Amino acid sequence: MPAHPIGFYVSNTTETKETTVTEIGREPHWFEIRVRGHLGPRWVAWFDELSLAPQSDGTTLIRGLIHDQAALHGVLQKLRDTGLALVSVTQIDEQ
Amino acid sequence: MAGPLLETKLHLPSRRPGLVTRTRLSARLNSEVALVLVSAPAGFGKTTLLTEWLAADPRPVAWVSLDAGDNDPVVFWAYLVAALNRATGLALDATTALATLLNALQSLSTKVVLVLDDFHVIESPEVQRDLAFLVEHLPTPVQLVIATRSDPALPLTRMRVRRQLAEIRADDLRFSVAEAAEYLGEVMGLTLTPADAAALDGRTEGWIAALQLAALSMHGRDDLTGFIAEFSGDDRYIVDYLLEEVLQRQSAAVQTFLLHTSILGRLTGPLCDAVTGQTGGGARLRELERANLFLVALDDHRQWYRYHHLFADVLRARLLDEQPERMPELHARASEWFEQNGEPHEAIRHALAGGQFERAADLIELGVPALRALRQEITLLHWLNLLPGDLLAARPSLSAFFAGALLITGQTEGVEARLQDAERWRGHITAAAQEIDVDLLSGPGPGNTRRAVAVTAPGPDPDPDRRSLLSKIAIYRAAQAWALGDVPATIRFCGQALDLVGDADIAERGAASGMLGLAHWTRGDLSTAYDWWAASVQHLRQAGHLSDVAGCSLALGDIRLTQGRLSDAQAAYQRGLAAATALDGSALRGAADMRVGLADVCRERDDLDAAREHLRAGRELGESSGLPQNPYRWRVAMARIQWADGEVDAALHSLDDAERVYVSDFFPNVRPVSAVRARVWAQSGRLNEALAWARERGLHSDDELSYVHEYEHVTLARVLLAEYAAGPGRSGGRAERAERYGSGGPDRNKWHERMLVEATGLLARLLQAAEMGERTGTVIEILVVQALAEQLRGNKAAALQPLGRALALAEAEGYVRIFIEEGAPMLALLRAAATQGVAQRYVRRLLASADGGCSIPTQSGLIEPLSRRELDVLRLLATDLTGPAIARELVVSLNTIRTHIKNIYAKLGVASRRAAVRRAAELGLLARR
Repeated sequence: MPAHPIGFYVSNTTETKETTVTEIGREPHWFEIRVRGHLGPRWVAWFDELSLAPQSDGTTLIRGLIHDQAALHGVLQKLRDTGLALVSVTQIDEQ
Repeated sequence: MAGPLLETKLHLPSRRPGLVTRTRLSARLNSEVALVLVSAPAGFGKTTLLTEWLAADPRPVAWVSLDAGDNDPVVFWAYLVAALNRATGLALDATTALATLLNALQSLSTKVVLVLDDFHVIESPEVQRDLAFLVEHLPTPVQLVIATRSDPALPLTRMRVRRQLAEIRADDLRFSVAEAAEYLGEVMGLTLTPADAAALDGRTEGWIAALQLAALSMHGRDDLTGFIAEFSGDDRYIVDYLLEEVLQRQSAAVQTFLLHTSILGRLTGPLCDAVTGQTGGGARLRELERANLFLVALDDHRQWYRYHHLFADVLRARLLDEQPERMPELHARASEWFEQNGEPHEAIRHALAGGQFERAADLIELGVPALRALRQEITLLHWLNLLPGDLLAARPSLSAFFAGALLITGQTEGVEARLQDAERWRGHITAAAQEIDVDLLSGPGPGNTRRAVAVTAPGPDPDPDRRSLLSKIAIYRAAQAWALGDVPATIRFCGQALDLVGDADIAERGAASGMLGLAHWTRGDLSTAYDWWAASVQHLRQAGHLSDVAGCSLALGDIRLTQGRLSDAQAAYQRGLAAATALDGSALRGAADMRVGLADVCRERDDLDAAREHLRAGRELGESSGLPQNPYRWRVAMARIQWADGEVDAALHSLDDAERVYVSDFFPNVRPVSAVRARVWAQSGRLNEALAWARERGLHSDDELSYVHEYEHVTLARVLLAEYAAGPGRSGGRAERAERYGSGGPDRNKWHERMLVEATGLLARLLQAAEMGERTGTVIEILVVQALAEQLRGNKAAALQPLGRALALAEAEGYVRIFIEEGAPMLALLRAAATQGVAQRYVRRLLASADGGCSIPTQSGLIEPLSRRELDVLRLLATDLTGPAIARELVVSLNTIRTHIKNIYAKLGVASRRAAVRRAAELGLLARR
């Protein structure tokens, strides 16, 4: 608990949080992510309408316009949680 | 947080029957290393492995199953501490400082294991930093175990090298062909050919989740080989493939049940019924668990479960694909159930997930008081950020709390926008800034060009809720001004707040008054500051917040000290101590700080024994009964007593310690430790260090003066005088002197004289400022230093003028050390004053203290005289007290006594106690003072 009710209103240390916004992070970019294993069309909704293209080598190419770095990491986390092996992440030119 | 779900977070998972023994893994689970890390993707059997290992381990286990909500550091530590308390029987308080917690754990007599399961959900940098600190300072009895899908942000490489880490990774957890065969055959009861088992192991790559699904989908099948062959040739995401197989074999009812309840993080019978609209949920869950279908029990009573994370995700993906239109409804039902069953956080989570933003906003608003009380602003911010902007803007109360939460977490960005949203609702935004004046406010508010959007109304708003909101907005604006360093605006908005706050809202009154006290203090308006702090104390007493009363008493005492009112300061600390002492004599938080304040007053009056006693009592109360600044204050008080005892090195050591543990806790840092230390340096001849301090702090004798730097500037004057006193020939400190006075080498005398001129000029200005601010304590000190300056000039007569004034101001309050600590020069001046008839009785008392105190009986015959402390020890050596008894008598450690004895023997030139006593008697050192 704070030593005084003041502590309910002011912070003892005000750090101006630097919003780490880089140029790359700002604009949406096209990304192509490759995982090992086929993800069927059922998974499109789960991955927020990114396109899922199973490849003949047993991998899946996940492709789409991703809003920013935070969104990209969100997708990667979802992939992590499937247990599928991540093979590559590449930023590509606009489709 | 104290709802039924608390149990489930801390529950040690139960062992499951029918597992494959994996001895090669058990061998790697080392109970000696600091950290055991199990890092592998979902469904590799991490939790099962740990559960099995710890079941056979004699140590108590503190288990925390983490989830996204634990990214709020307050929540994270609350669960961690709760788990540790359960396991160890301690009663740790999650709100104490981390270092204090770790100390408490260090003293455990039995070992304990702390498990953090699903650590990958932690993304908060702050929690990760705290955890890194924990790992670095891990108490010896504690072993940390982390299960995660991503390696944590810890120095793993370094820990590997230092052998502080035992790791189990995905490849370790994969089932070998033999293990897979054992699992499928003996545990799951399938009859497989070795080739089939090998094929399965190959296709699943030893992934136990997939193996389990495979086994489930093979039960009762005739052609196992064919089945295996078919999906071996398929590249499909294996969990998806197999789960489909398993699901298809369930009844439609079960399939629907699984899909619909997949949105729940934790399941219990009635909750499932509410979500599915069916009955018999409890029975259904038990069935599923028995059939080994994805459920994990979360308590011992089989009330709460969760799905294996991996399966839950796949189920949710299917639900999203097949029945997206149902999801809002499912979440809505879950939200309602949680609300009715006392789990507001879950209710909010589901409302947000289901897109019921209005409902979520309602629930959040209801939950704000509890969140604020528990300091869970991070959680609040997380939710508020998920609400649509226009909804927030339409809810002034939430906008205001949003601003408040930002301020509390130390952010300034976005605060103004939120405050304007909150005010806009009133529809009375005036174009020009208007200020509501309150007569009690002093201090000008000109030159503030910020457009303070004050909500105006012809008269006070009759609606108590609206007034409450407006007063909160005012307080938040005050907080924002404070964060931006705008003291006049802080004062103005606090005034508005006080005008608006209802009489019943004592805590808010207390906060606003306290903020005013703080603001005025920073400006050096000490009387006004005192009045506001006093008002704050009254409110807090009324509200029954007794440790807050202690905190305020600290401020009151400090202010009185600066004002030269020692007795009033003492009274303030005593009142605070009384408030912080419960009826049964036990101490509340803040009691220790009061002791330190009292120690300081006693020290000033040269009652060093009493001062030491207060410090001892304070230390005994333990870290947890101190306010955040207590470790720092205690060490500074101790340093000043050590200095009074002539123990320079000990004093410096204490000051270094004090600096390390310093926190500001809303008190203006008007007496920085570095300045206190610089004075010790100056007075003990370490002039180079003292000058270096002045340069580091950028202090110059022609600086503009401000209250906040007053102590530092007085210190600067002292340092300059000490330099002057050392004479122009002093060899050291060339760099500092060159920086101040140019490298005019040959003209030593000139810059030497300049130092005196600068010092006296600075002192004159300081005196004027201190007098104007009625900071009599500082005035006395400045006068003392001025007297010494005159004496250095050779002007003894002129020295008596400021000295006389100082004595007049100090006599009634009983100041002693402020005079006698200046040593021989001051004693000479005092004697001169006595001869001249100035304050004769007082001066005689001072000289008597000096004689009995820091003065030493003439120690002729000794090359190096004994310090006062050493004399104390020596006198006790002449009794028949043992070493430990002497230590207790003098309130120090036995080691300190040993050091003193060593020095005493050295100085007396003896090697035994008896010889020391004999020599001391010869030298007449044993005479009682």
